[in-house]
Parts: sequence; C-alpha cells; structure tokens
Amino acid sequence: MKYSIISSLILHLGIILMAVISLPIFNDPELDMTPIIQVELIEIAEKTNVPEVSKKQEKKPEKKDEKKKEDIKVTKPIIKPKDEKSNEIVKDPVEEEEIVKEKIEKKMLENLPIKKPIEKKEDKYDPLKLFELIDKQEDSKTIIEDVEDLGYEAIEATPSLDKRLSLDDEAAIRAQFMSCWSLDAGRIYDDTDIVSIKIFLNIDGSHQKLPEIIESHRNRMAKPNESRYKILAEGALRAVRRCDPLTTVPNINEYDIWKEMQLNFDPREKLR
Amino acid sequence: MKIITSVILFLNFLIISNSYALIEIDITEGNREPFPIAVTEFFYDLSQDDELDQISDDISSVISADLERTGLFNAIEEEAFIQNTASMHIRPRYEDWRLINVQALVTGELSIENDKLRVEFRLWDTYAEREIEALVLITTIENWRRISHMIADKVYERLTGEDGYFDTRILYVSENGPKNNRVKKLAIMDQDSFNHRYLTSGKELVLTPRFNPVRQEIIYLSYFKNLPRVYLLDIQTGIQEVIGDFNGMTFAPRFSPDGNKIVFSLARDGNSDIYVMDVNSRIVERLTESPSIDTSPSYSPDGKRITFNSDRGGSQQIYVMDSKGRNQKRISRGTGNYATPVWSPRGDLIAFTKNFKGRYYIGVMRTDGTGERLLTENWYQEAPSWSSNGRVLVFYRETPANDDGEGHSSMLWSIDLTGFNERQIITPEDASDPSWSRLIQ
Repeated sequence: MKYSIISSLILHLGIILMAVISLPIFNDPELDMTPIIQVELIEIAEKTNVPEVSKKQEKKPEKKDEKKKEDIKVTKPIIKPKDEKSNEIVKDPVEEEEIVKEKIEKKMLENLPIKKPIEKKEDKYDPLKLFELIDKQEDSKTIIEDVEDLGYEAIEATPSLDKRLSLDDEAAIRAQFMSCWSLDAGRIYDDTDIVSIKIFLNIDGSHQKLPEIIESHRNRMAKPNESRYKILAEGALRAVRRCDPLTTVPNINEYDIWKEMQLNFDPREKLR
Repeated sequence: MKIITSVILFLNFLIISNSYALIEIDITEGNREPFPIAVTEFFYDLSQDDELDQISDDISSVISADLERTGLFNAIEEEAFIQNTASMHIRPRYEDWRLINVQALVTGELSIENDKLRVEFRLWDTYAEREIEALVLITTIENWRRISHMIADKVYERLTGEDGYFDTRILYVSENGPKNNRVKKLAIMDQDSFNHRYLTSGKELVLTPRFNPVRQEIIYLSYFKNLPRVYLLDIQTGIQEVIGDFNGMTFAPRFSPDGNKIVFSLARDGNSDIYVMDVNSRIVERLTESPSIDTSPSYSPDGKRITFNSDRGGSQQIYVMDSKGRNQKRISRGTGNYATPVWSPRGDLIAFTKNFKGRYYIGVMRTDGTGERLLTENWYQEAPSWSSNGRVLVFYRETPANDDGEGHSSMLWSIDLTGFNERQIITPEDASDPSWSRLIQ
C-alpha cells in the first residue's frame, strides 16, 4: 500500500516537473509584449477613419473610377496583395516600419476628432498582421492610400467558418431594405413572387458593383407574359439601389461574411 | 484507411461549403409610403400656339392628381424640382431627381400638327437610370383631359403591373329636394368628377344604373306611371329602349361580363327570386326558386358563377351559385346582415355591405367567404361598385338629418382595398347608387 502511494506520488511529481520544463505557459515570460501594441491599436483605429477623408477627395467626378478600384482593393483579404506585389522591389522591413509608423502618427494627429470606431476595432487587432501589412506597402502609394489600406486590412479577421450574421446585424440590414422598398399593398401576389438579388458590398456599406438578380429570376423577367413579375423585380432592384450605401453595416471584422449577400424580396405576406 | 480518407474528405467538403455559403436575408415587408413620382410640365416649342402653355400645365396636373388619388403615389411638388423642363426634355439628370427622392419621372412634349394635339410622354426610372415607357398620343385639342387620363393609366400600369382606372366614368343617381319628395336623375361623369352631365330629366324616379362592361350602354330601372321598367340606354347615341316590363317589382339589374345577359331579381307574390334575360332574344330564365328573398345578383368575371344575397337561412347572407342556378352555397359566415354583393373584375374578391348593430360597413371577402375585411364603417352606406382593375370601390354614404329634418346628405365615396385611402367624390348634388365603368375603349 505504502509502496504504491509513494510510487504514485513520484510519478505525479515527475509529470508536473516535465510540464514546468516543457510547456510554454510556464516557460515564456517574454510574451507580455502586448501592452506596447495596445497603444498602437488606438492609433490604427484612428486611421481606419482615414478612408472617409480620401473618399471625399475622390468624390470628384474625374476620380470616380479610381475610387472604385481602391474600394475593391481595400476589401480584398490580406493574402491577395502579396501576390500582386510579387514583382516589386522589396525594401528593408525595418525602414518600412519606421516610415509607416511616422505616417500613422501624422495622420492620427490630422484626424484626432474622429474617434468613434476605436472601441469596436480594438479587440480584433492582430499585431502580426500589422507587420505583415507594413512589409507589403507599395512605394508608389500616397500616404493616405497607405494608411487607408493598413487601416482596413489590419481590422480584417480570419474568415469565420460559420457564415452567419448576428440576429441584430441581420435585422438591421433587413430594416434598411424594408424602408427602401416601396411595395404595392393592394396587388395580388402569388407563391412564386419572390425576387432574389445578389449584392456586393464594400466595407463601408457602398456597392462594390451593380446588384445582380439571380439568373432564374432574370430569365423569368424576360418572358413576355411576366410583365407583373418584371415590375416586381424592378421595384426590388430600385430598393437595393436606394439603399446604396447601407447606413448601418454589420461588424466590419466579419466583412468576409457579409461582403456578398443574397436578398430575397418576398411580398407574399402582404395581404394575408 | 479508405474510411478515414473518406471521412476527412467529407469533413473538408463540409467546412468548404459552409465557409462559402452566401448569406441570405428575406425582405418580407416594404414601406407603405406612397411611391414618390415627379410629373413635369410637358415641354413645347414656344413659337407654337399659346394654348399649349395652359395645356402643358393642365396635363401634368391631371396626371399628378390621378396618380395621387390612388394613394399609391406621392406627386412631388414642382417647387422641389432641380432640373428645369427644357433640359429635362433632352435627358433627365437622374442624380438631381434622386436628390429630391423621386423614384420615377414623367416628362413629355406637346405639339400641334394639322390641328391635332400630339402628346409624347416618357416615364423614367431614376434609380435604374433608364426610360421604362414611352408613348405618343394624337387627339383633338379639346380631348387633352382624356389623353392625360390615358397617360396616367400607362404610368400606373408600368409601375404597379396592374391596369389603371383613370380613363373611366362613374354613373350614378343624382338627387335633390326634400327627403320625402326627391328628384332623382341619372348622371355621368369622369372618375375625377369632370365632364359631368345628366342623362335623364328627373321626371321619373330612376334606380340602380349599371354599365355594360363591353359596350357604351347602361341599364337602369325607372318607374313609368308607377310601374317599374328596365331600360337600356346607349350613352353615345342617346337611343333608349325598354327591355323589360315585368309583372312584379324588379330590382338591381346587372350585365353579364360579355354584356349579352342581364341578371336581376323579380318579386312576385311576396317572393323574390333571381332571373336572367338574354339581351338579344329577351328570353327570361329563372335561376332560384327559394321561398325566401333572393336579390342583388352579380356575375363573376368569367361569367360562370353568380353571387347574390338571400335570407333563406334566417338572416340576409351572401350566396354563390353557378350561372345556371345550381350549387347554391352560402359563403358569408360573420355576424350581422350582408347585402349588395359584387364580384371583383379581377375575380379574387366579393365586395358587400354589412349591417351590424345599427352600423353599416363596406367590406370584401374571398369568393369562398374567407378573409372578410371591413374597409369602412359609417351611419349608413351601401352599394359598392368596383373600379375596372378591382383595386378601388365607389359607394354612397348618407348622413342623418337633424331633429328639424335638415342636414341629410348623400355623397359618393371611394375606398381602396387597403382601407386607408378613403376619398369623397365630388358631385354637383346629392348622389347615390354609383356604377363604375370599365376603361373606355
């Protein structure tokens, strides 16, 4: 009995000793670097407002196309720019880091009053991605573009496998489209009167490209005896265009989930 | 090993399909606000007739008023317009219209060619940024009002998917004089109360006028030497003929959808039944043989069924039968008395008058009696008649006289199927028994 208790004790102590030696949680005191980054997090969050500044400039008609291009670029996942820059001259990462930090600070001072989104983006900050991005900055870009890209991409989270919006986000989007959709209450609708439209959103809620009615519904619209359905579909499309941009967007950290959506306009409940 | 590989592949498939699934959001409600539309003054060449100045203004006013009366459209005030008529004529600046929340825009051009008015109109979708309807209409200059109604019909049809009802007329009984000695005349007017005229002098009492759905004819009941007679009047030529001089009281004649038959009720020996008469051969056929009072028959739009009301169950209720009088079936199930059933031109609903606890209601129900909805309630109102597209009902409403016998009135009102858009229809005198025509051919 005594022997077994002693041997069990020795074995347990051995396991604990091995754990202390090998597991990183007992053996990596250097990991508490995060507080420094935390400060920068605020700065970057400030910078995420910069695109608004740049957009105002781009609103000039002659720069319209540019704006679109940038929007698309901004919304791409982190990995994509890497491919684009494969042929570019790679600069010293340390130098690059310094330059971008300076730019960030400069822009932060310019945009101090815009502080709203800070808290929202704080949690999702990933310092590793920040440095990855810094490495990827293009020389040809302006300061604003640099910081804009940095801001957007830094807040992008890894795509969730569970592609669902929260109920609140879903309700907010639904409410916006409901308010934009002028629906004829006295008309008779049948069970096939549904119009599905795919939308492609930028991170700011504006449309990346024109909305698309799904193919089967588009084919139905084209039929000569489907003029009533065509009018319903046109009304739904008008609602989508009226709601460009969305005034409230879901969590931008989940942008990958909601950048493409299908809206099913279904008026059948109207007079039931 | 194979099993493990299969499981891994399946799990991968699940993960991939899940991660690329598109988010779908169902939008099951829209806003009920009227659709914002701008109807601009129609462009014309200033070197042309000065008359066009007034016509341009009038046409856009009539179109705006027609659309607004439906309750479905909100015609934006001209003061809010950013773009002027001249530049709009070339091409609308969509962003200017969107800025004032206009979703559809009506523009047009007027000219006079060979003493005829040429009206060209265009309908634009300001969000899709394209023209969605365009039409040229040529008529005499005096006919500008009808042209305006036709344009309003086109706009309504293009934006709602249903036929308009603006180029239509309302026939009714015009009344004046003390309540115990009313002078009743047949009168007809456009649906917007313009072009009013009387069809009879008022010497004889007239009742229940009804339009022929396919020809410019009306049928009505008149008392000649205190005997009821059914008359057929061609409203284009003014030629009138007696089509029935029946031995007994006749009520509520109404045309079949093809205009070739007249269904009515006839009271004999205290018993009222439904009869049908062929207009050409004048052969009369009895459809009901109940010992109760069967009255107010109305055909379904396909002509295969007839709805009527009967008190055979102890109270006045709505029944449906086939056009030969078979398969009679009660459809109204609510409390109160139901009367004057009228089948909708689009076939989906039956409108009725309901009397419950001393109040009168105008309502609709599905043709099997389900889905009863009461649209409006008042002291006394009855005789609903459908607009040509089955979206609006016209009826008449009386207000009670005071203790001195004054203050009684009888007016025409309209209400749409939503029950929210109730409007009085202006008539020169008191009015009752309205009948709404189909679109004028």
